Amino acid sequence: MIEAARKSNERALAKLISHVEDRKPGWKDIMKAIYAETGRTCVIGVTGSPGSGKSSLVSEFAKQLGDMGYAIGIIAVDPSSPFSGGAVLGDRIRMRDISTYKNIFIRSMATRGMLGGLCQAARDVVRIMDFAGRDIVIIETVGVGQDEIEVVSASDYVVLVTYPGGGDSVQAIKAGVMEIADIFVVNKCDRDGADVIVSEISAMLDLSTETVEKIPPVIKTSTFTKEGIDKFMEILSEFIQKKEKGLHFQEEHVRQEVMSILETEMVSLIKEKISSDGNMEKELKLILSGKSDPYSVADELIKRVAGI
Amino acid sequence: MKKNSKEEIKEALKKWEDEILNPRVKKFNLDKSPTSFYTPLSWDNSHFLEKVGFPGQFPFTAGNNPFDFWRAYANFAAKAGFRSDWGGSGKSGKYGGFGTPADYRDYLFKMQSMGRYGGPNIAFDLATQCGYDSDSSFAEGEVGRVGVAVDSMQDFAVIYEAYTGNLEIDKVPSNFTINAPAAVIIAMYACLAKKRGIPLNKLEGTPQNDILKEFIARGTYIYPPAPSLRLFRDTCVFCCKNMPALNINSIGGYHIREAGATRVQDLAFSMANGIAYIEAGLEGGLEVDEFVPAFTFNAFGGSMEIYQEIAFQRAARRVWAHILRDRFHAKNPKSMQIRQPITAHIGCSSATLQRPLNNLARAVVGGIAAGMSGGIAGAFPPFDEPLGLGHSQEATQLQQDASRILIYEAKVTDICDPWAGSYFMESLTDEIEKDALAELEKIEKMGGAVAAIENGYMPRAVAKSAYDRQKKIENQEELVVGVNCFTGEHEIDVSINRVVEATYDPELMKTAEERQKANLARLKRERNGTAVVSSLRSLKVQAEDKDKNLMPAICECVENDATLQEICDVLREVFGEAQPMKL
Amino acid sequence: MGQDSKIRVLVAKPGLDGHERGAHVVAYGLRDEGFEVIYTGLRQTPEQIVSAAVQEDVDVIGLSILSGAHLSLTKKIMEGLKAKGANDVLVTVGGVIPEEDKKTLEEMGVAGVFTSGSKIKDIAALIRTKLGKNA
Repeated sequence: MIEAARKSNERALAKLISHVEDRKPGWKDIMKAIYAETGRTCVIGVTGSPGSGKSSLVSEFAKQLGDMGYAIGIIAVDPSSPFSGGAVLGDRIRMRDISTYKNIFIRSMATRGMLGGLCQAARDVVRIMDFAGRDIVIIETVGVGQDEIEVVSASDYVVLVTYPGGGDSVQAIKAGVMEIADIFVVNKCDRDGADVIVSEISAMLDLSTETVEKIPPVIKTSTFTKEGIDKFMEILSEFIQKKEKGLHFQEEHVRQEVMSILETEMVSLIKEKISSDGNMEKELKLILSGKSDPYSVADELIKRVAGI
Repeated sequence: MKKNSKEEIKEALKKWEDEILNPRVKKFNLDKSPTSFYTPLSWDNSHFLEKVGFPGQFPFTAGNNPFDFWRAYANFAAKAGFRSDWGGSGKSGKYGGFGTPADYRDYLFKMQSMGRYGGPNIAFDLATQCGYDSDSSFAEGEVGRVGVAVDSMQDFAVIYEAYTGNLEIDKVPSNFTINAPAAVIIAMYACLAKKRGIPLNKLEGTPQNDILKEFIARGTYIYPPAPSLRLFRDTCVFCCKNMPALNINSIGGYHIREAGATRVQDLAFSMANGIAYIEAGLEGGLEVDEFVPAFTFNAFGGSMEIYQEIAFQRAARRVWAHILRDRFHAKNPKSMQIRQPITAHIGCSSATLQRPLNNLARAVVGGIAAGMSGGIAGAFPPFDEPLGLGHSQEATQLQQDASRILIYEAKVTDICDPWAGSYFMESLTDEIEKDALAELEKIEKMGGAVAAIENGYMPRAVAKSAYDRQKKIENQEELVVGVNCFTGEHEIDVSINRVVEATYDPELMKTAEERQKANLARLKRERNGTAVVSSLRSLKVQAEDKDKNLMPAICECVENDATLQEICDVLREVFGEAQPMKL
Repeated sequence: MGQDSKIRVLVAKPGLDGHERGAHVVAYGLRDEGFEVIYTGLRQTPEQIVSAAVQEDVDVIGLSILSGAHLSLTKKIMEGLKAKGANDVLVTVGGVIPEEDKKTLEEMGVAGVFTSGSKIKDIAALIRTKLGKNA
């Protein structure tokens, strides 16, 4: 499977992704085996509020990058249902124009309720696509949850998409993505009110000059009239060409990744131990009957499970 | 006898609940009573004239008329043995269409030789409905399948070869079940009249021309909602000024409900769409009473809940009347009436594939509801509807007889609005009206129908309601006989003979695509290419100016034999294409 | 390590038929059964459906067709899957399917045909049984 994926066989690539995403036995061995051959792809994160036309924008620029000769991978992340663990993943609807394009591979991914783990899983999928010869990988998320923000923040380049008519869409940006954006795109600019959004964002950026090193550009686009798309492509391809060694080679980033893998692994180890060890039944009863409290029980369990 | 005071009734109700109702509920070990009882406390009749009024008077709760045309001559029709084609009403024929235009024309000739003289009531194939020609890759496998393929004016004219002489187009009405490319079909109709030397003001009929509901339910849209509405505006103004006898549209809550909407969503969304159409006409410079009387409704949705469906029809009439009078200041009562071919019904989605003969019983319930809510007591649909193979002669006969029994034996339609003044029915009518108005207000706050489509609200709400209903059926919260209850081994699936007239020749269906592509290729070879290009170019220029009415330019394209897709492609280029809905 | 294996289903509407009720209900229903449903919306060509099925590595494709074009569309999709070596993907068909066409579809390799009145639970059960997977 690994060999076939290396040759960019679509089906092998898809299967490899499932294997790792499902954390099937041996997934880590796969990642270990391919790690050395990754790190050259350019990762573009795209986020923004629902209705901002992210997917259409992604579809548009992925196609143009594809036409330039780049092999593209797209990861479209949508939330899982917290109740059933299932999901309806619908981003492909907006990408139908490129769904059979030979240079483009699209993969929908559910958050699967993995606290922090989504970030790692997405990183793994990026790496597999990288290994399978994708020059550029685009990750698209709905910019609402902390998880999704973390996912795009692990990209080389972050595109934040907003649009006129999104109500308080600019207000929503303030909530934390502001700092990680490399470019602000006001999409659907054929609608009324685009200029207002541009000036609101610019004003906000001006005020935050102390916290960001470089003020990111704010541009208007429309996937319908194609206004601004050329400008956007110009900025994007300049970045792609200039892009040097990726996050792979930055100490801080590698440290963060090891920590993140460790965290996820530790949590599942602890969960496993606890469930094989009476599933906390006894301890919970103590709390419920007023004989103990959640803090003491947690301390007790850490001692017992992790031996700390 | 002394008049009862409200206090007395209230006291008596309390006493009844304590002494009769509650002990009984307790005796049977229930949480609450399975039945309800209504009293004068449930509905205040002191505003009878404002809320109900007389049939034919504002707010039309009791009906558009004390009786309709069919009722006036019902007894005469029975004695004469008059048999109407189902699907046709008045002078229009049975809804249909298949194959190439020549196939369908020949079929119509055959029907006429059997004495069926109704006007054309045309079903178009999906490619035509979506603005694609028969040679498009999107049309593959679809040509002539669910309707007739129409690629050009020439195709349109071929169908109408079946309508000359006594059936000339100024003598029979035409119905076109088409929405996104309605402007093109209306232009073809106008162009045909011109060629035949018939004045446009003699043309009668109804194009469906209800594009907004396509985004909520049926999915045959082409352009985004806003430019689609602009095209509606242009057809509205064109029809109003040139073809005053033609209806402008046929607004459909029916499709919305069949797609899963609740009763309240059906009413609210239909009203929101209707309002958008009125505003489009006003934007086109028309006066409200000049064009709204030419609006029709294709029927709202239906269900098996007989009381609710009767109340729904009453509420719908009242809501529309108020919108027209209070908001748009209409003066003509015709503007305020919901003109529709039928009233209440069960909806095709209530018919079951399981034990299908039961659908006859279901349809009768719908017929009673219709008869009690101002409509012809039609027991719709034929029981074999869900089998998907065409209606059999037996099913059609049973359906017709059921309606006749309701009208002539049960005398269901001898009383106009028999429920007027019923404490229960009036309070239910009020409740549906109130809920629908609240939902309508929500849509208006979003910016109206177009905004509530663009942001996905209406289509998504319908999908959610469809799923809720499915869950209720799966967990037996709602019971459907023969589907999720009474399915034991001793139940019998009663069957009767079904003879389905081979309505359309299956051999012709098989070869239609190939033959139609050849027709189209010939047209493209033989027509005046320069004229086509120049008329399409002029259409494009006009389309870019929002204030221009596109109908004259579309008529010119049609006359020059530009194809339906060529016209739609020009508009796609200017307007963009609608995005399918994300769940 | 905790296994996170999910059943992935592509719900697709091939052709121009725009009646989405069944597809919507099945998409929501299977989500609530814990499946990951990729919904591709209206007017999908057989090529788009096959390509999506391969890239998304789905276990199942659920086709919804109410226009009567089910035989030709399903045939094209089955052939496309085979050409891409993905003929192990389960294919189910829902919609208005006359009784005599059910057999033809099954002969093409369709794993299940679901018409009006079908329960989501039954669809989910069939998929779980055929896949031998429980997620």
